[in-house]
Amino acid sequence: MSEASKDQYYVPHLAKWPIVGSIGLTVTVLGAINLLNSENPGTPWVMYLGLAIIIWMMFGWFGEVVKESEERLYNTQVDTSFRMGMIWFIFSEVMFFACFFGALFYARNFSVPWLGGEGTGLATNEVLYPGYEGVWPTNGPLDLGGQFTLIDPYHLPLVNTLLLLASSVTITIAHHALRANNRKQTVIWLIATVLLGAIFIFYQAEEYVIAYQEYNLKLSSGIYGSTFFMLTGFHGMHVTLGAIMISVITVRVWRGHFRPESHFGFEAVAWYWHFVDVVWLGLFIFVYII
Amino acid sequence: MKYLIIVILLFILFSLGSAMFYLVKGKGQSQNTVRFLTVRVALSVLLFLFIILAAYMGWIEPHQPNFLNRP
Repeated sequence: MSEASKDQYYVPHLAKWPIVGSIGLTVTVLGAINLLNSENPGTPWVMYLGLAIIIWMMFGWFGEVVKESEERLYNTQVDTSFRMGMIWFIFSEVMFFACFFGALFYARNFSVPWLGGEGTGLATNEVLYPGYEGVWPTNGPLDLGGQFTLIDPYHLPLVNTLLLLASSVTITIAHHALRANNRKQTVIWLIATVLLGAIFIFYQAEEYVIAYQEYNLKLSSGIYGSTFFMLTGFHGMHVTLGAIMISVITVRVWRGHFRPESHFGFEAVAWYWHFVDVVWLGLFIFVYII
Repeated sequence: MKYLIIVILLFILFSLGSAMFYLVKGKGQSQNTVRFLTVRVALSVLLFLFIILAAYMGWIEPHQPNFLNRP
């Protein structure tokens, strides 16, 4: 391997991880198809094997990138491609959440009022669901999943909002500390961020248990239950992923990776955490409060 | 009050977007990314406090399922 030069794009000599990733994806999808198509309950283990291969690929591939980055093999061209990769990843994430927020918006403001007879939907209401009032939240004209109780936004969700906000404050302090080359402070505040994220996930799970067992609010509770669990569930998965990413970054800072003037890996993960927090603010406002 | 909340949320989105812009364009040299992220957090804390105030003062009320409104 040669030192990074300004003009040449760094190309690894032996890139085995892409083919490992392809095999992992194929095995995962074959396993999932087998699981869904079997007449008898299929075995999930083929899918799990595929997922294990993907996780192995991630460890191996990301590990190599970290190693090559610390060996200063990357020049500004590679740096630009990392930044481009980040913006496309974030674009897909924004569109992903836009879909679910869009579904919530459409259901609340259009389809449910139409079913309730608003605007030009009078005939729809009279013929299909006479007597149905299109008021949000609703489990739909057919009372899908039965009646449910709403989660009080000013208990667990409020605590969770405070937890995530606090974690954003701590990661911002860590960010400033890294720029000031204060590694000890950076590590401490990063650990605090991961812990706050973990407590958030714990309370979110607690909320789901209460919703299912006490409030009869389920994924199958009509349009409200579906949008509620899809939005908060996928957000929870993103918090989990973000917490894992920050854990990795913490270990890297601990090991002396990154420099005050060059720390894209850190900054990208920090931005991602901020993004996940803003999505939660949107959820707290549009799903729980307004 | 709902609209004020949404306006603050839009400012938060703007600062988050600006931070992303400088993350991609700034090559890590400038302070702009961390600055905009700090603004983003400060605005979010402000919004959180405002929501609590609005709820306490009764300016906003949580929604209720339609079957609870039926006689």
